[in-house]
Parts: sequence; structure tokens; C-alpha cells
Amino acid sequence: MLNVLRLAWLSSVRQPGRTSLGVLGVAAVGALLFDMLLLSRGLVVSFRDLLDRAGFDVRVLATDAAPLAGPRILDSGTVLATIGALPEVEAVVPISIRSVEITSGNAVSPTDRLERVQFIGADPQARPMWTLVEGRDLSTSAGTSRPLLVNRTTAARLQASPGSELSLRGRCGSTSSVLPPLAFTIVGIVEFPFDDADAETVAGQLLDLERLCADDQARGVDMLLVRSKPGEGAERAASAIQTANLGLHVVTNEELVERFSRVEFSYFRQISFVLATVTLFFGFLLIAVLLTASVNQRLGEIAALRAMGLSRWRVVAGVLCESVMMVGAGAILAIPVGAGLSVWLDAILRALPGIPTDVHFFVFETRALFVYGSLLAAASIGAALYPMRIVAVLPIAATLRREVIG
Amino acid sequence: MTTPIVETRHVSREFPMAAAPVTALSDVSLSIGAGDYVAVVGPSGCGKSTLLHILGCVDVPTSGEMLFQARDVTSLSDADRSRLRLREIGFVFQRFFLLPMLTAWENVELPQAEAGVGRTERRNRTAELLEYVGLTKRAGHRPAELSGGEMQRVAIARALANRPSLLLADEPTGELDQRTGDQIIALLDSVHADGTAVVVVTHDPAVAARAHRLLKMRDGQIVEGGS
Repeated sequence: MLNVLRLAWLSSVRQPGRTSLGVLGVAAVGALLFDMLLLSRGLVVSFRDLLDRAGFDVRVLATDAAPLAGPRILDSGTVLATIGALPEVEAVVPISIRSVEITSGNAVSPTDRLERVQFIGADPQARPMWTLVEGRDLSTSAGTSRPLLVNRTTAARLQASPGSELSLRGRCGSTSSVLPPLAFTIVGIVEFPFDDADAETVAGQLLDLERLCADDQARGVDMLLVRSKPGEGAERAASAIQTANLGLHVVTNEELVERFSRVEFSYFRQISFVLATVTLFFGFLLIAVLLTASVNQRLGEIAALRAMGLSRWRVVAGVLCESVMMVGAGAILAIPVGAGLSVWLDAILRALPGIPTDVHFFVFETRALFVYGSLLAAASIGAALYPMRIVAVLPIAATLRREVIG
Repeated sequence: MTTPIVETRHVSREFPMAAAPVTALSDVSLSIGAGDYVAVVGPSGCGKSTLLHILGCVDVPTSGEMLFQARDVTSLSDADRSRLRLREIGFVFQRFFLLPMLTAWENVELPQAEAGVGRTERRNRTAELLEYVGLTKRAGHRPAELSGGEMQRVAIARALANRPSLLLADEPTGELDQRTGDQIIALLDSVHADGTAVVVVTHDPAVAARAHRLLKMRDGQIVEGGS
């Protein structure tokens, strides 16, 4: 079957050097482009995944400051009751986070130093925002006095396991120096979604955290995590909370992601956009140059084909097919190369201090693959335009005459 | 004279140049009929190839009329002229211009595939043509594996693929030695004998001697054998 595709294929195979150069060039360019597309939305996707994994889709804060960076929600008991009674809300969980000191335990710090850890105080009966790795959760530790969950890093450093005891003292503002330590029993080891590799985090009952910091209900909580009822959705739950006119800032996960995407993560998007554009332009130039050179070498042959009666469309389509084939082969080769490269680059970036271990900079999305394919398809067509034009306007008689004289 | 296949009436062809236009053909009137065997001779640059290109509908005159099977070629679109060439005209070039990545078989099959000839008919016609030019055993070879004479024979088979009414050959023996050239001349004789009109542009007296009609050209004009 001598169709356009077969002729383009044979034409590509006939010039293995040019074709290999083109395919490898596109593979290199494609791998970088693919990675830039993964980077452009990687943090956003990863961040959304982290938020969703916590199991709550609305957050209620005292102000529009970043979570845990602003003032606390006062009179949290009333607020909790009001929000919990809304028909759009399935559950509402208050949480507070404070810095505490480990003062002693049956597994003390090898350095015997006072170490600070982050204490997350939450409602023990609510669905947890962490993942249990070993032992029991707070909700199943009713008989234990001051149950405590620790993350892997803390457990490893303290050589602690479920059943170990730990003494903690609050470091909550100016009053911390006079606060007495409290004894806790470690009931489980958990993973917190926003921990970085070195983070030492523990979790216990909100009531125990208030005791550690000598807080009372009047001093409120940092944040309320709200889970909307199935079928209602975050938007309606958030709207209902706002309508309740509590004077609080209500934000859905989507809104939070959108805000981070627009502000905090925009640098990555801009960098990836610039690099992707430059990369694509180089790919475009490479294919355009190779195809133009190839077409110029074959002008006599093309003129002869036209003289034989092959239509202008037919020879132009042949050039386009060659471009698409070259870019297509390079693009397919680029995907495993880009995927490998993204894993490597992701590991480098995640090793930066303060990055949560579950956050990824390069995240695969079907959408990225679609955009990648579309961009390369557009580049292959764009790169073929000039050589296609050469072929389309080729004067048959003059070219044949020139070839004979040449 | 039989029914004209191609006819030119006061055809001129000028090529625009920076200094001044160059006249390649001037007031050429000519008629080629079915079964004609015409040789076009003349010094280099006298307009032989330009005439051949106009007869073959790959170029159009600057002025005058050009009729192919009584149709005015100058009024046809590029696509229509391509279709006309594909079905009615066969080209044989001095430099063969076979597609190097295709076998002899595929080169001969290509114009038929382009014309939409069915697979079975194509296969039969290709086999018949390769046998006709004596290259059945070389069907699977690519041009690089063929001699000059063999390549030209494949080119002739390719030109005949869609049973054209007119075969145009531009210096078909120009790149070949004497003995191989003779084989090509004999083949063109056979093509003519089978009923195809043949027009050959040549410097080779041996080729010109085989034609039934000789057109002598000088300075873009037919000085002997016209109309």
C-alpha cells in the first residue's frame, strides 16, 4: 500500500542519520517539556491531594490570614454547636496546634535535651486527619489517661512505641515558663500529611492541649475542619456557614488550592511556562531545519512526482507526515525519559528543608499528557509549514530544468 | 495526421528575469496525434525542454493556446492538470527520478495507486510492465541496486503505468552508454508500436533517427517539421 503514510515512513527510514537526529532531539526536548508540564501544576495537584486526604473539605478560620497564622476562633463551643447543627454539615472538628517540650519519658532523648515538638490538639471522637501506622487511635483509647499519638520521626528519636510514657510541657506564649509538665501515654504511631522529613509532631486530645497551655474555652481554637454532607458539597456547606453570620472566614479546599496556585505556587508555574516555551521553540527549530534540508535535497524527486501527476496536496501531505512521524516517535520516546527525569528532580526538590514529605513537585495528570501531545502536535505542524510551502509552490518545470543542468 | 492528442497554437513562453524577460518559446504551433513518434532536436537552450514541459502540462504558456485532447489546458486548475498528467501523460526523465526508497515494483505501482487503480489490477499491470521492460527478476530491487539502463527501463514502465496516450521523454539516453541507450531506444520503439504517441527531446542522432517526425528548434522556434 503506497499511501502517504507509507511513503513518509520510507522517506524517513531512507535518511537514518537525519531521522535519528530529529527523533533524539525531539525526545530530549519532549522530556523537558513533559517535566515542565508536570511541574506547572504538580504542587497544586499534590496540595489538593493532601487537603482532600485529611477528610475535610471546608476550613473555618478567625480571619482570612493563612491557616494557623492568624488569630484564634473565640467562643469555639458556640461556634462548633452552630456549625454542627447546619444540615449541610456532616462533622466539624476543632483543632489547635501548639509548640510543646518533651521533658521526660521512659524513652528520653538520647541527648537528654529538651526538644520541642508540634502538638496537634483535636477532638478524639472525630475522624482523624492522620494515618495510623501502629497501635491505636485516640478514638479507641478511652481508658487511657492522656493518650498521645507520635509521628515516626519522634518515635524513632525517642525510641518510643505504643505504651511508652512521655512528659510534655506547654510552650504557649508568655505564660509557658510557669506551666507544669503533664504525663502522656503513647497509644499509636501515625503519619501527618503536612509533616516534612524532619518534623516532630504529636497529636492528642484538644482538652489535654488546653491543659498543657493552661487555655480555656474562651481562648478558642486555631481552626475548625468541616466535612460537608455527602451530596451537599463543600460550596453549599461553606455558604451555609457564611450565612450563619458568625463573623468567621470560611474557605473550601478548592478555594485554598486556587489561592495557593495564584500566589504561593505561581513561581513554579511561571518558571515552567518560560522553560516549556523555550524548549518547545528549540524543538520547533530543530524539526523545521531538518525537514527543510531534507526537502531541499529532494526537490528534483518531488518535481518529478508532481510531473507524474501526484497532486500538490499529496506531496505537501507527505512532508507533514514526515514531520508528524519524527515528532511522534520522539514524543513517545520522551515520555519514559521525562518520567525518569521528573522522579529524579522531584527527589532533589523534596529534599529541600520544610517540604512536607507527601508533597510532590512533579505530579502526573492525564491533562498534562494531553497538553503535551497537543503542544508537540502543534510544533510538528508549525515546523512543517515552511518545508510544506517550499513543496507547495515548487515550480515543476523550472525545478526539473535546474536538476538536469545541475 | 490522426486526431490530435495535444495541440499548441501560437504558443510563447517567457521567463521573467531581473534584467529582461527571456523568451524560451516563440509562436510555436504544433499538433501531436495518436500514434505519432516525434523527436525534438536543436542546440542547448533552444527551448526543447520548455516545449516538452508545456506539452506535458507541467508548465503553461505565457500566450497562445494549448489544447490537450481538445481541452484548453491553461484554463485548468493545478489539481485538474495533475489528474490529466496522471492519467494521460507519461514522463521519462534524463535522470530517471525513481524514488530511491521504493523497489522497482513499487515505483511502477505508485502512479497506479495514486490513480486509484484496484490492488489486483495494479499487481497485474505492474507485473506486465516489468516483464515488458525485461525486469521481472529485478522487481524487488531498489534503484541503488540497478544499473542506469535498468533504472531507465523502470522509469519507462512507471511512465506507462496508467496507459497514457502520450509519452514524453527528455534526453532518455543522456545518462547512458551507447549499448544501454540502444536498449532504451528499442523500448521506446516498442511503446510507439503499441499505440502510444511518443515525443522525445534528444541530442542523440540515433534516437532522432527512429522518430517518424523530426522537429528542429532554434531560438525558441520550430524551424522544421512544425504543425
